[in-house]
Amino acid sequence: MNFAIETTNLSKAFGSVQAVNGVNLRVRQGEIYGFLGLNGAGKTTTIRSLLGMIHPTTGTVKVMGQPVGPHGQGPWQQVGHMVETPTAYPELTVKENLEIARRLQGISDKSVTNRTIEQLKLTPYTNRRAGTLSTGNRQRLGLARALLHSPKLLILDEPTSGLDPAGVVEIREFLASLVREQSVTLFMSSHILTEVARLATRIGIIHEGCLIEELDAANLADLRSQQLEIKTRDLAAAHTVLAQAGFAVNANDVGLTLKETRAIDAPDAVATLLVNAGIPPTRLVVTHENLEDHFLRLTGGN
Amino acid sequence: MNAFTAAFWMEALKVRRSKVSWGTSLAFLILPLVGGLFMIILKNPEQAQALGIISVKAQLVGGSADWPAFFDMLLQGMSIGGSIVFAFIVAWIFGREFSDHTIKELLAIPTSRGTIVGAKFALTALWLLALTVVIFVVGLGIGTAVHIPGWSSNLAWTTLGTMLLITVMLFMLMPLVALFASAGRGYLPPLGWAVATLVCANIVAVLGWGDWFPWAVPIMASGMAGPGTELLRLHSYVVVLLVFVLGLLATFFWWRTADQAQ
Repeated sequence: MNFAIETTNLSKAFGSVQAVNGVNLRVRQGEIYGFLGLNGAGKTTTIRSLLGMIHPTTGTVKVMGQPVGPHGQGPWQQVGHMVETPTAYPELTVKENLEIARRLQGISDKSVTNRTIEQLKLTPYTNRRAGTLSTGNRQRLGLARALLHSPKLLILDEPTSGLDPAGVVEIREFLASLVREQSVTLFMSSHILTEVARLATRIGIIHEGCLIEELDAANLADLRSQQLEIKTRDLAAAHTVLAQAGFAVNANDVGLTLKETRAIDAPDAVATLLVNAGIPPTRLVVTHENLEDHFLRLTGGN
Repeated sequence: MNAFTAAFWMEALKVRRSKVSWGTSLAFLILPLVGGLFMIILKNPEQAQALGIISVKAQLVGGSADWPAFFDMLLQGMSIGGSIVFAFIVAWIFGREFSDHTIKELLAIPTSRGTIVGAKFALTALWLLALTVVIFVVGLGIGTAVHIPGWSSNLAWTTLGTMLLITVMLFMLMPLVALFASAGRGYLPPLGWAVATLVCANIVAVLGWGDWFPWAVPIMASGMAGPGTELLRLHSYVVVLLVFVLGLLATFFWWRTADQAQ
């Protein structure tokens, strides 16, 4: 099978710092792959390696079935990218910046530039110098450059960073429509976990240079840990009753929580126990850990 | 449009839109303007005396108010000023990609890195050539305007030829400046390099070994250390050529192989 992205034992060290360590990525064509990691986890180093900007210390990188060469060669006419903060020549206008990208991509169709400007809603800023754009519009310009040549693979580092909430939703829907309608493969890193959770069909979590977990939609649902949250008018008494019944009880801000399967599978039995002890629950609910909790638990973040 | 044309178009557009092109032109225009001022002072010693130190300086530099002296001033000024102004141009063309972080937009694209570097050097060559021609033409205009004697078309052609020779040699020293701008990721390392080599060139020329020191060769060609190109031998041109080839290879190699992690 031809993967859109395939790395084998990808490692990169900068001196004594091991930025990426033995990462094996397989991103299928048409997927939206969310790449999560704390600051300094190795996300950007991995992305730069995928784009031939950094030479792996060991391991190989293939993009759209072709190896990324030691001198940066690759199938770049099929790949659009935006790495970290989008940049542009500040003294040039939005249109001139995109004209440069069009020509360097070898696209002869001049209408592509205006079409992309419209697509990214940059029309009011067409003749404005890039140096005077707001952060959000600079982000749009970066995305426009990444999309200009209708790539089959988009590699985006924090694509919604700097956008206002409406812009985030708009770009999210735009990216989703690209995948849906044009079968574009999207590989994106983000620190906005809810964004990734909404958009990605698969998620990889990198921590201290290692890909520690990959989750597809089904895995994500399965792996989410559950807990039974309990509130009563007398938490101390309820704690005692549940502990006497053999439950491992955690007390926290929401009240009491039980993580054992017998509690999660039979909350009615827990309710009966409390009612019989004269401490009826005022709230009893099974909750799921969200992606953020899961991510923080895996990476040890706080 | 092929890849090189596209890359050259990009570089040319950036120069056209930048204030740097005007800034360097204005900086270089100081040469014929100051030369013309000295000629005026030397032509009018009474007024020059009233100006005090300026007349002394003019006497030292120009000697006499005629076309040969005026052209000598242009040549010598160009060899010194050119090594700094040209280095500034190269530092901007290469270093800005790193200081503006636009380098990452030039890497994972179908146009090769070698093509982009080639286009940058081609534009540099044209820019330096254009500056040289402008200085010469403006110099002719100023010299004519101040009515200095000693004109001959032969002298003018010889001066233009020497100016172009100096420009070509200065250009050949620029790839190492480009390497410093790229590897140093900005403006300061290349400018530091340019100033250091200029200082060394003057010292080496004074010590009498200038014909072996590539950065002193353009200065010697200008006549600053004696009778111009007559001091130079084949080995002087060869060392400049060696620096050019070494600088080109190193810059191309660096762009092709260096990690771009910033």
